[in-house]
Amino acid sequence: MTSMVDIHRAHAQSHKRGLIAYIILIGLLVYVATTKQFDAYITNILMQAVTYSVAVMGLTVVLGLCGQINLAQAAFFGLGAYAVGLGTVDYGISFWGCIVIGIGIVLFFGAFLGTSTLRLGGHYLAMVTISFQQILTLVMINWIPVTHGPDGVSKILKPSLFPTPQSYLGFCVVVLAVVGYLVWHLPETKLGRAMRAVRDNELAAGVTGIDVQRTKVIAFAICALLGGLGGCLFAGGFAYVSPDQFSFAESIVFLTMVLLGGVSSPVGAVIGTGLLILIPEWLRFLKSIPGLYLAIYGLAVILIVLFMPDGIWGFVSQKLKRFRKVLHLSADVPELELVQTQAHADDVLVVTSLSKHFGGLKAVDEISFTVKRGSVHALIGPNGSGKTTTLNVLSGLYTPTGGSVSLDGHDITHAAPHMRTAVGLGRTFQNIRLFRSMTALENVIIGGERSGNPVESGALAREERARAALNFVGLGDRAEELVTSFSYGHQRLIEIARALAGNPTVLLLDEPAAGLNSTEKMELRDLLKRIAAKGLTILIIDHDMTLVGAVAEHITVLNFGRRIADGDPVSVLNHPDVVTAYLGSDANAAH
Amino acid sequence: MDLVYQLLFTGIGIGSVYALVALGFVLIFRATNVVNFAQGEFSMVAAFLMVIFAVDLEWPYWLSLILSLGGMAIYGALFNLGVYYPLRHRTYLPVIISTIGASILVTNSTLALYGPQPQVLSNLLDFQGINLGTVFFDSQYLLIIGVTIVLVAFQYWFFEHTLLGKKLQATSQDKEMASLLGIPVAAMIMITFVYSAMIGGLAGILVAPILFVSIHMGGTIALKAFAATIIGGFGDVAGAIIGGLALGVIETFGAAYVSVPYKDGFAFLVLVMFLVFRPQGIFGERVAEKA
Amino acid sequence: MSHFTRRQIAAGLMLGVAAPAIIRSASAQSATLKIGQVVPITGPAAEAGKYAMAGAKIALEAINKNGGILGKQVEIITEDDQTTNPGAVLAFSKLATNADIVGFIASIRSTQMHAMAPDILKTGKPTMFGGTDPTLTKLDNPWLFRCRPNDTYSGKVIAEFGVKELGLKKWGIVHSTDAFGTNGMKALDESLKALGITPVVIQGYANQSQDFTPVVLALKQAGIDILSSYFTFEGDLGIFARQLRQLGVTAPWVGSPSIVNTSAIKLAGPALNDTYGVADYAEDSSPEAKAFANNYRALMKVAPDNQSSWTFDAMNLLAAAINKAGKTDPAAVREAMLSIKGYKGAEGEYNFDKNGDGLHGYNVVKNVKGSIEFAKHIEFPS
Repeated sequence: MTSMVDIHRAHAQSHKRGLIAYIILIGLLVYVATTKQFDAYITNILMQAVTYSVAVMGLTVVLGLCGQINLAQAAFFGLGAYAVGLGTVDYGISFWGCIVIGIGIVLFFGAFLGTSTLRLGGHYLAMVTISFQQILTLVMINWIPVTHGPDGVSKILKPSLFPTPQSYLGFCVVVLAVVGYLVWHLPETKLGRAMRAVRDNELAAGVTGIDVQRTKVIAFAICALLGGLGGCLFAGGFAYVSPDQFSFAESIVFLTMVLLGGVSSPVGAVIGTGLLILIPEWLRFLKSIPGLYLAIYGLAVILIVLFMPDGIWGFVSQKLKRFRKVLHLSADVPELELVQTQAHADDVLVVTSLSKHFGGLKAVDEISFTVKRGSVHALIGPNGSGKTTTLNVLSGLYTPTGGSVSLDGHDITHAAPHMRTAVGLGRTFQNIRLFRSMTALENVIIGGERSGNPVESGALAREERARAALNFVGLGDRAEELVTSFSYGHQRLIEIARALAGNPTVLLLDEPAAGLNSTEKMELRDLLKRIAAKGLTILIIDHDMTLVGAVAEHITVLNFGRRIADGDPVSVLNHPDVVTAYLGSDANAAH
Repeated sequence: MDLVYQLLFTGIGIGSVYALVALGFVLIFRATNVVNFAQGEFSMVAAFLMVIFAVDLEWPYWLSLILSLGGMAIYGALFNLGVYYPLRHRTYLPVIISTIGASILVTNSTLALYGPQPQVLSNLLDFQGINLGTVFFDSQYLLIIGVTIVLVAFQYWFFEHTLLGKKLQATSQDKEMASLLGIPVAAMIMITFVYSAMIGGLAGILVAPILFVSIHMGGTIALKAFAATIIGGFGDVAGAIIGGLALGVIETFGAAYVSVPYKDGFAFLVLVMFLVFRPQGIFGERVAEKA
Repeated sequence: MSHFTRRQIAAGLMLGVAAPAIIRSASAQSATLKIGQVVPITGPAAEAGKYAMAGAKIALEAINKNGGILGKQVEIITEDDQTTNPGAVLAFSKLATNADIVGFIASIRSTQMHAMAPDILKTGKPTMFGGTDPTLTKLDNPWLFRCRPNDTYSGKVIAEFGVKELGLKKWGIVHSTDAFGTNGMKALDESLKALGITPVVIQGYANQSQDFTPVVLALKQAGIDILSSYFTFEGDLGIFARQLRQLGVTAPWVGSPSIVNTSAIKLAGPALNDTYGVADYAEDSSPEAKAFANNYRALMKVAPDNQSSWTFDAMNLLAAAINKAGKTDPAAVREAMLSIKGYKGAEGEYNFDKNGDGLHGYNVVKNVKGSIEFAKHIEFPS
């Protein structure tokens, strides 16, 4: 067994070796780009490929990592290009000053578009970005006093530091290398994990403490930033910009580039960009029939989407995977620690007259109950009694119609899911919601990264804590495996570990026994007892009476959205209304 | 005042074109939950078929119309099999990209086959239009408005009063449930694509005498139609019609009273405002995801 | 030459760039003289591209039949600019890598010329072009030679013809908001102001509009008695012309060259009857123009227009200049080109000024029931 510190040292060392190799490779490329005598055609192609790649990496972030679409990357690219063009030509600002201004402008627009519409996502975002693209093109064409209109801006200066096309190309390669390095490592950072979590499962991301909206806006802003940066470099390289270079059609080209190469990695961005710039050049021999080569290009796009869903790099890295050794390290980590906040009062979760109506349907109707600190409280009821709705209101996925919820003295009735998590709420889902593209360890680390986690932070501590949580549920030796390779029961345990890593004040478990076989149920029962033994407050929702009976100290019973009983297990389970409700519903179910 | 009437007529005329194309959008969106970025090419392909039959081969107009719409039915089916069906279990993104690829492929294949020159397709009606006072009613726009009304009525009847229509509706609301009820979901989606291609094609044929037949005719219209569907509330048939008409009127008046060069911008500005202030559209669509 | 070849091949292999094309282009010292032509083969202007290639080809065949240039047969190498600016830059720079090419025929589109200009300067070989933005010959780029009259002349001619010949004063101008349309409008506006007239309405539109009702109504309300226009795409022109006539605007109309384009007349039909157009090329303006028209018809089966006539002249002018210089040295060819005086081409009489503008006047033609009739030639001193 090795210690966590050793593992980290090993990681850091391999990381360092990788970085050195990378720097040497880039140094070599820069050397070739600056000293090899290319003719103008090659230089132009390389310049286009390098500057486009920077912009396409923006899409790697927003689309690949965060799962949001952006059909206006050419607009951001154009904003950057115009900042440099107009800044150096009309206003006499230095190239570097223009880059700063350009990035400022694209960040502003990126953040504005993001904050106003990202909550809608999907097709709406597609449409808003198209609109932005179209409006910007119209402004570039028609606002002649400022943009020079359709004539475009010519005689754009290169920075005096890189006067020749090839020295400038070398500079662009360095920028691309730095951007590529950062984008490559982004997924392993807290922000990157948050983006991937949002992409994999927005709801789960929210309840594990990620500010979904903020994460999306940041991803979108980074995308815009890289688009703008690419545009700045492009303007310097080609010395001429005009509105038709930044049209909607170009945005589609950017999108196709990232998808073709592979959306999940900056390597894919470079491959896709390179190919889509070179393919039309290769196919020039088909020019005798107008349209033929673009037709082939369109067909290629369809075929790639059909047969290489993860793009070329995704396809290649899949093939390479079996040659790569997976580190299976189970480290010595201390026992999972569950710190309890200073008790304000004995009542940790207080629900008062909570209601949730869907139109005329009163799914939850004025229910009240109180969860005592350190207890295992169960909320039960037959199907359709309003249990899951209650839980969704408690975790902030639904806004309540009336009533209030307070956790540890904080009123959280109207707080967003991630705010509740920050206050100390953790939950699991009936239909498991893990981040499917990630390993068990990464899933649990995200849980531990919630803001307000009283346990010490820092990469090392976070990973150590995540491993401890996985050990606690008995899956510590499979930490590096993808969650999709786990059985259903084990996925549920990972979900619980994810919640535990965040050190919640109250843990909400939504039908944890659903779909488990009897052995797994026994294991679950023991696990819940061990969690309770650590003093954690649990609110469990289930209709599995054997499980509830075995662990709960206090039971609240719902039926038709109303509370029909509340008290200790024995008295509640013998309550006549409860018996009727259950027998009635069981009798109905039997038919 | 005549000025206003003239603008209103034109706005409704061009809006009807958006509405027809938007209708095709919505049908496919409802059935498959994806946005078809090659919707505009349905109109373009149909218009070229008309040119082949009615102009090149000089066959009668009605026969050419039937053959073109028949051709569009086949095209819609092939489109489904080649572009959507293999991707039906994936997320919306690959499908969007695949439809974009299809759009590039079809546009440029047409270019390769038929050349870049715009083609002329004559009006279906013999007369140019009617003058009422100083307001001119273009016969082709009158025809387009008429067809839109008839088609909307037909669609209402079809979806609400026929078994096939109800099956299609069930499919678009809940595919799993529909297949449990014994509705052949794949066939329903196939019918949707065929029907959508025919509607898009009809829009293309109707508008061709005004805008001419060119490989780029579908692109702009489709983008506006897409905007119209969002203004109307995504996935809502009535909304798409109202959205299309509203967009046509707004941009015509915007061009007349604010700025002609920014005409295309109004559509998108209205759209952005809708998305920011009323994302559920005119008639409303639930945006929230359930836990 | 050999080190050049090796270097190029190495670069090609390293990058995985299409090696065959580069090897082919690098095959040294061929027997033919090569002219590079940048032309739209795909994209919205692909149709015009076909005409442009045909014009150059007609000139080429005649040149080769008469013994070629400097005794060598001539060959045109074309590259597609995809009707985009970056496409034009790549197409030109690709041609520029071919050392055998002694001169270029570039684009009729001004923005593409702006985009290519830095590369043309770097390449340093005579480049004939057709873009009519006046600023293009004022870029301090000695290698640019224009084979069409620039827009200051089209504006001057439209103004002169409308005001003096037709005697009309209430002008309306409709123009595309692209570079061509905007510059044309500015030139016309200036020329009118020089004649003491301020247009009553100037209306821009974005290319590929589906409807022109608001534009037509604005013209109608302003009560114009003469209309002039700068349209870029024939489709737009066709839609506008029909709506103009439907909504009852009957004022005389003098348009930029696109109004007398073959495809515009086909699309708009009778709506363009009795309109005037300024045309750098008019079939009946000179015997040379007539001869070109006959050859073009024989090859293409349609009437020629300026898309082909300027490339025809460009090819002939290159041949004449190189023959006159007696060698392909770019500087010598440039000198020879500038010394060309009174060369009668299909477009008109070429007298290159120091900026590289070859033509200084326009023809005015009239559309009489679909056929183009020569009306008047208006020439300005260079």
